[in-house]
Amino acid sequence: MIGPWRTNRIRIVNRLLCSLLLLSACAWGGVFVRWTNTALPRPDALGFTDLLISATGKTSPSSEDARQKGYRVFLEVPLEQANDTAVKAEKSGLAGIVLNVGQSERDGVEESIRALRSVHPKLKFLVLGSGGKQPQMRGTLVIRRNAVLEVSSPTAQPWIDMNLALVKIDKRSRPEQTPLYTFSWASPDSAQQSPPTAMDYSLAVAEAGAFQANLILEVDEPLQKALNDNDPQAWTLWKQVKSYADFYSHPSKPALDHVANVAVVLDDLDPTDETMNLLARHNMPFKVFRPADLKSETLSSFDVIVMFPKPDRETSERIAALATQGKIVVIVDAQGSYPWQKGGSVRLNEKAVSYATGKGRVIELSEPVTDPETFAQDIRRLLGNQNMLVSVWNGLTTIAVPYGDHGPETNRIEFVNYATDPIQLQVKVKGEFNTIRFESPGHECCSNLQPVKRNGFTEFVIPELRIAGRVYLDESDQHSVSHAPQ
Amino acid sequence: MRCAKRQMTALIIFLLISSLVQSSDTTRLIYKKKYVMGTVFEIVVYDRPSHDVSDAIEKALDEITRIDDLLSNYKADSALSKLNRSAHFHTQTVPPDLYRAIDRSVQLSKLSGGKFDISVAPLVNLWKAALSGDSMPSPSQQQEVRDCVGYKKIELNPPDQITFHSNCLQLDLGAIGKGYAVERAADILESFGIHNALINAGGSTILAIGAPPGQAAWLVHLRDPSRKIDPQVMLRDESISTSEQTAPSLLGSTAGHIVDPETGKPLKTEFAVSVIAKRGIITDGLSTTLLLLGPTKGKLLLRQMTDVSAIWISPAAQIETAISGPQIVFPGKSS
Repeated sequence: MIGPWRTNRIRIVNRLLCSLLLLSACAWGGVFVRWTNTALPRPDALGFTDLLISATGKTSPSSEDARQKGYRVFLEVPLEQANDTAVKAEKSGLAGIVLNVGQSERDGVEESIRALRSVHPKLKFLVLGSGGKQPQMRGTLVIRRNAVLEVSSPTAQPWIDMNLALVKIDKRSRPEQTPLYTFSWASPDSAQQSPPTAMDYSLAVAEAGAFQANLILEVDEPLQKALNDNDPQAWTLWKQVKSYADFYSHPSKPALDHVANVAVVLDDLDPTDETMNLLARHNMPFKVFRPADLKSETLSSFDVIVMFPKPDRETSERIAALATQGKIVVIVDAQGSYPWQKGGSVRLNEKAVSYATGKGRVIELSEPVTDPETFAQDIRRLLGNQNMLVSVWNGLTTIAVPYGDHGPETNRIEFVNYATDPIQLQVKVKGEFNTIRFESPGHECCSNLQPVKRNGFTEFVIPELRIAGRVYLDESDQHSVSHAPQ
Repeated sequence: MRCAKRQMTALIIFLLISSLVQSSDTTRLIYKKKYVMGTVFEIVVYDRPSHDVSDAIEKALDEITRIDDLLSNYKADSALSKLNRSAHFHTQTVPPDLYRAIDRSVQLSKLSGGKFDISVAPLVNLWKAALSGDSMPSPSQQQEVRDCVGYKKIELNPPDQITFHSNCLQLDLGAIGKGYAVERAADILESFGIHNALINAGGSTILAIGAPPGQAAWLVHLRDPSRKIDPQVMLRDESISTSEQTAPSLLGSTAGHIVDPETGKPLKTEFAVSVIAKRGIITDGLSTTLLLLGPTKGKLLLRQMTDVSAIWISPAAQIETAISGPQIVFPGKSS
């Protein structure tokens, strides 16, 4: 017979183990939950430990209460209030400060953060960039004043709101910080007038996870209240969201890097740049550079280089050298005399001239990019089928992000399907792989997919991609179904 | 007397406004979207709160998926793909929806003297490869593929039998499939007693049933490459479709996605064409046809039809119209 004391002890140990398991599953920490309701569930129930509270909001939970419950509490403040808030946060034992930085404040932010870090070394300071969008597949209907205002357009391709370009630009703007973004669910012109669903939340978490970024996840007020009221439907929704967070909490090799063969050189790292957005939207694997990077980076793994700033003399010589090695360099809004202009030229149209330079060429576009969609498709054409790292069919709503061990080879691909309805996806990836393993949230790792190798590429079919999935590519011949490398 | 007239006018206006407000209060908007046929289909319905329309919209979207499963040439197991594999000099029995879609396409081919042709798929695929980075096809490659094209090589035997009189004919219903799908979706909604709805196939084809509460029709802004004209149309139990060639490349010369069966080459035009008529399958097929024909020949074709309106607009704001159906209005222009 087990006595009451022993029963209690077993219960306490079980609860502790459960809590530890829950917390360890969230070690990824890529989601900061933004909470505004004064009441707050416990972190072991919510399944997330990083909590963001607005320091200037009208209502919010007590940071002390949240901290005592076990949350790592971050306060969100505008940049100009950072000093005062940091003093209070340090005294209260909070985890850090999230700085809300406007477009106009981007230039001075690094210096401000350095100063803050030196005064408050125990606090974590994170910069929240602007320009985040609710990830979604958008329609074209616009509803205003209870009537539908419709624009008839021949562009039948679905429009996707996504944050990959923002993440890539943020990565170059602040290399020391994992990109951090947020978005608001409210969309006054949206035809979708119902509150966010489990699919919407899951897609948001999946997108950030697939892009290896940190997300501040806004939890809508009715859901916060329903979770506090222990509404079973609300907790069912939240359980699904948590399964997506769990999926990205154990990536096989967190140190993997985005694989890219298109280099985009930018002067102004504007996260809302539409040309970058369209390159990302068309699954162009690109990486952002500053003009100064051209002097230090070898760019050996890049096939196409797109240059937006006007090249100075030194940069022009470097561009000519890269083209001579066999690369295609596109100069946007090119005005002036450059070394490559000595070679033979071909006029492509009234605004573009191509100069043969060594094994490669330089293409000058005489004006800024006026049509980002067409420009992205042009870059896709210049890259050519032989240099496409990943191609997807039946994937107009899918973004594929290739990852590798800091080299040109892909060994993992993250997929996000913005349509959120299951699709069968055909994939072609550069390289020859014998083993393709697929996993997705809520399913045990991994199912083996049948690879078909053809002319230096491997093709396979993902039978059902709902919102998110991950593929491991291996050159070795492993037939057995096994867990992903930890 | 004058005062009484004013009072009467005020009363009429009050009653009109009251009826509009009441109408708005007793209906609600239900919206759903789905990715099908490579685009986003959206359905908006206005109905009374007691009426459960969500299920009806789901069924209409399911119907669009079912039509895609039949008409898709991307899906290997679709009825069309099976036909494309097996009907060369062999008579095949096909599902009624596929037969209807092909039958109406062939009628439009005859009407347009072959400008509209659903057998143009091999040529489209040839140029599509060039669009995605392959080299431009040689004249001999083009000729080889052109020999596979021609709607006259399709033999239709009602009610459901089809034979291809060519060993390389391939059909692509991309220019008519969305129009057929929105019609079928409208049939489903109407079978549920829904009388005010809009079905949008990615903006390229839109079908309106009834009107929003308190309004005479659905207001639709038309595609305007000049961004200066903003033409509009009011749709009530009508459909609109728009066609436009792929935008020209910034960094080279490119092929567009609309290929002229007569020349075998991508169409060169800057016009965008919008067509308004009663039926989605008509507007969808006609918009491509009228783009291929251009305004002069297009207007001649439309003289043979009734209740159809069309507008061609260029980036330089050149406008050509043919109106025998709904009026197209230009709010920016003085009358």
